[in-house]
Amino acid sequence: MPENIQHLVMWLIPLAPLAAAIVTALLGPKGMREKSHLPCWFGLAVAVVCAYVLLFSIVPGGFGEHESQAVVAPGYQWIDVGGLNVRVELRADAMTAIMLSMVTAVSLLVAVFAAGYMHGDPGYARFFACFSLFVFSMCMLVLSSSFLLLFVFWEGVGLCSYLLIGFWFQKPSAAAAAKKAFVVNRIGDFGFLIGIFLIWTTFRSVDFATVLGEPQRLAELAAAQPGRITAICLLLLLGAMGKSAQFPLHVWLPDAMEGPTPVSALIHAATMVTAGVYVVARCTPLFVHSPTAQVVVCCIGGVTALIAALIALTQDDLKRVLAYSTVSQLGYMFMALGAGTLAASDAAPALATTAAMFHLYTHAFFKALLFLAAGSVMHAMGDVIDMKRFGGLRRALPITHWTFLAGAAALAGVPLLSGFWSKDEILGALYSAGSSESPYHGYYYAVFAIAVFIAFLTAFYTFRAYFKTFWGEERFPAEAGHHPHEAPPVMAWPLRVLAVCALFIGGLVALSGSFAGYLHHTIGLPHAEEPGLRWGLVFVSVAVVVLGIGLAWQMYVAAPRMPSKLAAAFRPLYAASLNKLYFDEIFWAILVAPLRGLAWLAGWFDRVVIDSIVDGLALVPRWLSAVPVVFQNGRLPSYALVMWAGLIVCLALAVRLFASY
Amino acid sequence: MPQVIEQIRSTATLIVPEIVLLAAVCALFLVGPFLVNEAGEAPAGLRKRWGFLSLFALVVALVAWCDGDHSLVQNGLFRIDGLVWYARGLSLIAGILLVLVLWNQIDDVHSAEAYACLLSIVMGTNLVAAANDLISLFLALELVSIPTYVLLYLGKRDRIGGEATLKYFLLSIFSSALVLYGMSWLYGVTGTTNFTMIRDALVNRAPHAGEGLLEISFALILAGLCFRLAAVPFHFYAPDVFQGTTASNAALLSLIPKVVGFVALIHLIPLSGATDGWERWMPDHESKLLLAALAVATMFLGNLMALRQSHIYRLMAYSSIAHAGYMLIGLVIGDTAPVGGREAILFYLATYGLMTIGVFALLSARAGDGQPLKTDADLRGLSRVQPMIAVLLAVCLFSLTGLPPTAGFLGKLNLFLTAWSDGTQLGHVLAILMALNAAIGAYYYLRLVALMFLEPSAAEPQPVRLAWAPWLAGTVCAVASIALFVAPQWLWDSIP
Repeated sequence: MPENIQHLVMWLIPLAPLAAAIVTALLGPKGMREKSHLPCWFGLAVAVVCAYVLLFSIVPGGFGEHESQAVVAPGYQWIDVGGLNVRVELRADAMTAIMLSMVTAVSLLVAVFAAGYMHGDPGYARFFACFSLFVFSMCMLVLSSSFLLLFVFWEGVGLCSYLLIGFWFQKPSAAAAAKKAFVVNRIGDFGFLIGIFLIWTTFRSVDFATVLGEPQRLAELAAAQPGRITAICLLLLLGAMGKSAQFPLHVWLPDAMEGPTPVSALIHAATMVTAGVYVVARCTPLFVHSPTAQVVVCCIGGVTALIAALIALTQDDLKRVLAYSTVSQLGYMFMALGAGTLAASDAAPALATTAAMFHLYTHAFFKALLFLAAGSVMHAMGDVIDMKRFGGLRRALPITHWTFLAGAAALAGVPLLSGFWSKDEILGALYSAGSSESPYHGYYYAVFAIAVFIAFLTAFYTFRAYFKTFWGEERFPAEAGHHPHEAPPVMAWPLRVLAVCALFIGGLVALSGSFAGYLHHTIGLPHAEEPGLRWGLVFVSVAVVVLGIGLAWQMYVAAPRMPSKLAAAFRPLYAASLNKLYFDEIFWAILVAPLRGLAWLAGWFDRVVIDSIVDGLALVPRWLSAVPVVFQNGRLPSYALVMWAGLIVCLALAVRLFASY
Repeated sequence: MPQVIEQIRSTATLIVPEIVLLAAVCALFLVGPFLVNEAGEAPAGLRKRWGFLSLFALVVALVAWCDGDHSLVQNGLFRIDGLVWYARGLSLIAGILLVLVLWNQIDDVHSAEAYACLLSIVMGTNLVAAANDLISLFLALELVSIPTYVLLYLGKRDRIGGEATLKYFLLSIFSSALVLYGMSWLYGVTGTTNFTMIRDALVNRAPHAGEGLLEISFALILAGLCFRLAAVPFHFYAPDVFQGTTASNAALLSLIPKVVGFVALIHLIPLSGATDGWERWMPDHESKLLLAALAVATMFLGNLMALRQSHIYRLMAYSSIAHAGYMLIGLVIGDTAPVGGREAILFYLATYGLMTIGVFALLSARAGDGQPLKTDADLRGLSRVQPMIAVLLAVCLFSLTGLPPTAGFLGKLNLFLTAWSDGTQLGHVLAILMALNAAIGAYYYLRLVALMFLEPSAAEPQPVRLAWAPWLAGTVCAVASIALFVAPQWLWDSIP
């Protein structure tokens, strides 16, 4: 493909959604109203086409060869003065192309669904303007060529998520959730920004090409300053933890359910939460030089995944179950990212990153599917989402039922479906890290055990939600009316397409080995042969999945009384899980309340002490300026006199030079 | 005789834009009086016709400027190089904006003379840049000064205006005398008035010859030109004159003398520093200290005094003093730093012109019909009464403060980088003092923004008709301030 056309294609991917956002924002509320989704659809369709063109053009000459350059599309040089050179340009390599193909495709499907779901909302145009802007920010984030540009759009994604989570800002809970998401993300961004500063002082550059693309230099710097590299990695990780909802910054994600359901699908599947995983994966060349940072990544992933899975066990809100499952699956990806230790083998980082990105990819499809299906349930049930109030929907909502089942099976890791393949690769990566020579291999074994346990929990809670919603006695809430209606075609088709993707995409990609074959063209990832299926691991994971689903069937279909008996028997445990392990309360007690106290104290200090000092300081300029006022008296002779005196001083200063000879 | 004609012809080709302006000036001065009758009455709308004629002349000059090449040509009195090209563009565009601001600030009777003076000032600015001889430089400087006196008088002929004019007139003559005296010392050392020959004479002179004399010349010229920059302690006229004159004159005084002063200094300082052109000029230690002292005193005094003002014109006068201080930092560093001081000054002049002309244009945009905006009380709650003016004014004030996303931020950033990248202790100190001053400045600029947007309006909102010309000039300035932030590189690259 000619270079300039390739550059155009790259620029079109973010700019088409941006144009859609601008058009919708300008014309939507007054002109287009109920047709406001059209620019968004069109812009995203263009982006999807371009993303796939890019996907097939970025790695030339087949997958086998291992030499490919990142394509840099020059954009705009903002300023170049002295040592300061700020450029806005796009950079694409294999990882970018894969991310874009997922982000744009899932976003488009969600946008199609949203046109049906949001129909009749007074903020219809605003929704699609924000939606397009969100996709634009995410595409730019993925296409950024430097940490600086990445950070700009990192914040852009945060802003758009704030706008969309708080879309129904009249609801106090939605406004609070939007604020919570933004504030928690800011904590991560703080670390991220410091990490970027550290990168600048260490590498004298923030370009990916310089920081990540020069392995020789990177190795020398890492050998010289191992602590510095670890610090950079941990700070970047802090940012990623905020965006990707990792413990202890995971608290915003479940609350983000307050936004419209398509927004949940977008945030959880395609755009926001994947940003953190993407950044850590992108920085793999940095992380491999810091085994400590890697094991931290892995352990945080493990803890997050475990906590989220335990909470998901008892939630009654269908969307919350899915939200915690997202947190848990993101934890899975982080486990994989942390497992790429060089101690296992030279190829381990590439394999681990591939596993994480693969899971990210398959997860995006089936999680978008599950959320949209949940949205379809909400739509039919008159916005009720509490699983205690409805049941047995499989006859009333056949399409939703089948598509939800496809997504749930993929998420649970039923053999041969998408989730199975990617989860298997992650378990494999963890197992090889555990059996390596790494000084931390004990941690890796522990995380591996947790991961297997979580696979069981995932299968259980996913099918618990499925059985509670679609099986059992047929019940509808009063809000739904007498005849709940199945999703209209505009909502049903995205569900069908996503269901097909959820079922088959993982198998297709995994069996052909094309994902790893493609991804290793990313700069800084060594080529690695896929190890093939480990039958022992496969057996274990299949066993836990069957166990989980079977238990769910037993508890929620065969013996529906059992859960309440169990809950009564283990009341404290049940209550802990139901109340999200009291994280919000713990945060309140150990963070928010002391911070409020501190804020009150600081406020007092500010009012009494600082204000006095500032007011005092502000008086200083006024006192100082009282002196020249004497001369500024409006009298001409006085002015001339001071000018003359000034001249004498100038002469004296200049002639001092003469005297010094 | 044919030889003289040939010389005139070849010199004339170097100053085509100025000749265009001269033609317009002649027409205005000669025809203007005949359209006013003996009772001192003029046909209504005469000022608009003269205004359009001036705009036309400026646009033709601008076309001639675009057309002409700016490769180095030296011809006795004048030389053409990149600096001339840049300064011409700057002054012609500023001239167009100033004509628009003058639109409703002058009555029909005196309009011809006022526009003629404005065009002469623009012409003088161009010739200062093109001068290659002490004589032509001094004449060009006076071509700026003398029409300024007339313009100040024409703008406002009451007692306060008369006082302002007289103050400016007397002090300006004093400063011109200083410059001329300094030039005569330079002539005394070298025996010639031509820049090229002065440079040759200084480079080839005997060691230590003329030392001391050169420094006196340097100090005198610097002191004289500092009056135009409004640098401390030669700034005293500025607040009184700004307060006593019209918006258009204040806008003119805040920009044009600074352009003239800095361009003249860029010509003259390297000469008396005895080096071969600005490119290799680096101020020696003593002149560095002198310039740094001027810069620091000017910044601090301008900003501190501006804190006390409630009259906006007076505040802008002190702000113009403070900005002169910032630019003097570029002169201290010279052209040795990785980011050149001269480039930073020239860039800053362009951005400063946009913001200061924009402020005065917007303040006067409704002066024709409603009340002129002059004091704090007039700005109170402006955003309710005149939302567009308030927003544009806020953009210009942000630019003066140096906040992104406006051009003022980049101007300050360049000067800061200049001072910091110099690497000396003096450079670092100056950079820090400049940042400190920008913070002090933020207080009084943002106070005005707060007045406009946060305070309740004193009067009932009533529609006020806007005068289109200053309104257009103000809009162009505010929009250009933002556009220049987005795309600054072309301007930076066009600086010689």
